Amino acid sequence: MSFIFNTDFFFSILRITAPIIFATLAAVISEKGGISNIGLEGTMMMSALFGSLFSYYSGSWIMGVLAAILTGMIVSVVMAFFSFNLETDIILSGTAVNLIGGGGTIFLVRIITGLTEGTQMTSTNSLISGKLQVPNIHIPIIKNIPVLGDILSGHSLLTYTAFLLVYLVWILLYKTPLGLKIRSVGENPDAAKSVGVSVIKMQYTVMILAGALSGLGGAYMSMSYARGFSQDMVAGRGFIALAAQAMGGGEPLGSMLSALVFGTAQALAVKASAIGVDSNLVSPIPYVVTIIGLTIFALNARKKEKVTNKEIKNTMEVIE
Amino acid sequence: MSKRNSLLFNVVRSLAAIAIALIVATFLVFFSSTSTGFLEKLADTAEALEALLVRPFIKANGTFNSKAFLDVLASMIPIMFTGLATTVMFSANQFNLGSEGGIMLGAFIAALSAIYLPLPTIILPIVSILLGSLAAMLVLLIPATLKAKLNISEMVNSLMLNYIIMYLINFVLTSYVADRSKGQLVTHQIQKHAALPQLVGGGSKLSVGFIIGLIAVILVTIFMYRTRWGYNIRMIGKNQEFARYSGINVAFYIILAQAIGGILAGMGGAVEMLGRYNAYDWKALPGYGWTGITVAILANNNPAFVPFAAFFMSFLGKGTELMSTYSNVPNQLLNIIQAIIFLFFAANNFLSRYRQRLVVKSAEEEMASELGGK
Repeated sequence: MSFIFNTDFFFSILRITAPIIFATLAAVISEKGGISNIGLEGTMMMSALFGSLFSYYSGSWIMGVLAAILTGMIVSVVMAFFSFNLETDIILSGTAVNLIGGGGTIFLVRIITGLTEGTQMTSTNSLISGKLQVPNIHIPIIKNIPVLGDILSGHSLLTYTAFLLVYLVWILLYKTPLGLKIRSVGENPDAAKSVGVSVIKMQYTVMILAGALSGLGGAYMSMSYARGFSQDMVAGRGFIALAAQAMGGGEPLGSMLSALVFGTAQALAVKASAIGVDSNLVSPIPYVVTIIGLTIFALNARKKEKVTNKEIKNTMEVIE
Repeated sequence: MSKRNSLLFNVVRSLAAIAIALIVATFLVFFSSTSTGFLEKLADTAEALEALLVRPFIKANGTFNSKAFLDVLASMIPIMFTGLATTVMFSANQFNLGSEGGIMLGAFIAALSAIYLPLPTIILPIVSILLGSLAAMLVLLIPATLKAKLNISEMVNSLMLNYIIMYLINFVLTSYVADRSKGQLVTHQIQKHAALPQLVGGGSKLSVGFIIGLIAVILVTIFMYRTRWGYNIRMIGKNQEFARYSGINVAFYIILAQAIGGILAGMGGAVEMLGRYNAYDWKALPGYGWTGITVAILANNNPAFVPFAAFFMSFLGKGTELMSTYSNVPNQLLNIIQAIIFLFFAANNFLSRYRQRLVVKSAEEEMASELGGK
C-alpha cells in the first residue's frame, strides 16, 4: 500500500486534477448562466494548440498562456454567435467546436508549422523547449515541511491558479452584481429581462468567461502537463468537466471536489498500469466513476426532495 | 408560407451553407499551399478543389471514376446507420451521443460471433448482426434509463460510455481474443460464410449492407411517420410537457427512442464489419457516430433524407481523401468543412431576413389570388 499511497501519488492527483478544474469551472459558470457548454473539449484543444504555438513563436510562455486564454475567448464568442444570434442548438454548435478541436487542430498545426514528419505530424513536441513551459513554483517554508511540502510544493504555476480560481469563481458568482445577473439569467431569463438585465449580453459574458477558463485548461495541457500540443491531448477532460459540474451540484467547491475524485481515479489508473495492470482496464475508471457519481448524486437529490416535500406537508398540517 | 416558397427557402439555405463551407475551405487550402508566388498558390488551390469536388466522380482523363464512386457508396453504409440512429434519438430531443460507442461495440460483438459461433450459412451473419445490435442497445439503455428515471444528462453519460466501450473492447481484444500469430492487434479471421455478399466485384467493398441500410431507412421512416410510437417520439421532441399532459408515457418513449438508436448503431457496426473486414482490428472510436450527427442535421432529422445526407458526407470524405493524396492538403480539412456546414444548417436564424421576405411574398400572393377570385 505504501508503494501506491506515497507523496508522489498525492502530488500527481493535484497535477492531474488541475486541468479538469479549469474546465469544470468553465462548466460551472456556463451552467449557472443557463448554458449547456458541450464545446469545452474543442475549446481546450484550440487553446492548447495556439498556446503552444505562441509560446514557440514569441519565445515566451507568458505570451503563450495569454494566447491560449484569448483563443478560448474567441472560440467561445463564435460559438455564442451561432447559438444565440443564429439560434443553432447549443449542443450542435458545441459539437461543431469539438469537431474543429479534434481534426481542425491537426489541419492547422500542419499548415502553420509546416512540420510534416511523413504524413503523421501530430505533435509540436519537437519545437518546445523547457523554458517555453509554464514554470513550476517551489513555495518557501511549505516546501520544507516534510510530506506536505512534497505534495503541495513544486507544482506548475497553473496548478495553483486552478485551485485559486475555484475561490475567485465562487466570489464572482455569489459576491458580485455580475454574478447575481448571471445566476438570474440562468434561473429565469424572462424574470431577469423584466428587471432590465440584458439576457444576450449576459450569455456572451458567460461564454467569454468560460472561454478564458477553458483556455487556461488548454494552456495547462500543452504547456505544463505535456510538452507541446499533440493530437487528441485533451482526451475527454472537457466532457468529464460537465460531469464534475453536475456531480458537484453546479457549485464551485463541490465541483472541485468532484474533479478531485476524477483526478484520483486517473492517478490510480496511472499507478495501476505502472504495476502491470492492463491500462485498458484502468483507463476507463474515471468514466465509470462519472456515471456512478452522477447516479448517486441524482438519487440523493431525489431523496432530499422527498424529505422536503414531506416536511412541507407536515408544516401545512400543523398550520391547519 | 406557401409550400413552394418554403421548399425554395430550404434549398437556398442549404446551398448557402454548403457554399460558405466551401469558401472557407478554399481559403484554408490556399493558405496551406507550400508554393511561394500568388499565382502558383492559386493554381495549387484550383487543383486541390478539383480533387475535392470533381475527382470522386471523374478521373483526370475525363472518364467516369467508377472506383472512387463505388467507394463513396460503400462508405455511406456505416453513416447511414448512425445517421438514422441519431435522427430517432434527436427527434425525441434526446442528445444521446452514444452511437459512436454503439457502432464500435456492434462491430466487435458481430465479429466475435462471426468468428466463434458454429452456425450455418445465412444464419450466422443474421445472428451476428442481431447480437451486435442487441449489445449496442443494451449499452445505450443505460443513459436512456438514467435520463428517464433520474433525469441525468444522457449526453454526459453517453459520452462517458463511448470511452468505456473503447477501453473495454481493447481489453478483451488484447487479453482474450487477439490472434497471437499476427504482428499487430487483430482478432482471428471471421468465418468465410459470415461475410456479407458484395454487390459489385473488384474490391469496392460495396456489400449487401448498402441494401440493408436502405431497408432500414424505409422502416425507420415508416416507424417515425406512420406509427403511433413514432408519432409519440416526435411529440415528445416537440413539446415534452404537452406530450405528458396528453397522457403519453414520456419515460417509456425516451427509453424507446434511445433503444432504437442503439439497435441501429450496433447494426451499422455489425454490417460494416461483416461487409468490409476479414477480422476485427478497430482500436479507437471510428468517428462514424459524429458523422452520423452531421448526417442527421443535414437530413433535418427526417430519416427519409438520411441516404442523401450520407451520400453527401461520404462524397466529401472521399474528396478530402483524394485531395490529401494529390495536393498535400491534410484531410482533416473535412472536420472543418463538416463543422461549418453543421453550424449553418442547424442555425434557425440563418437567412431569417430572406425567409421573412418569402413569408411576406407568400402572403401577398395569397391576398392577390383571393382578391382575383372575387
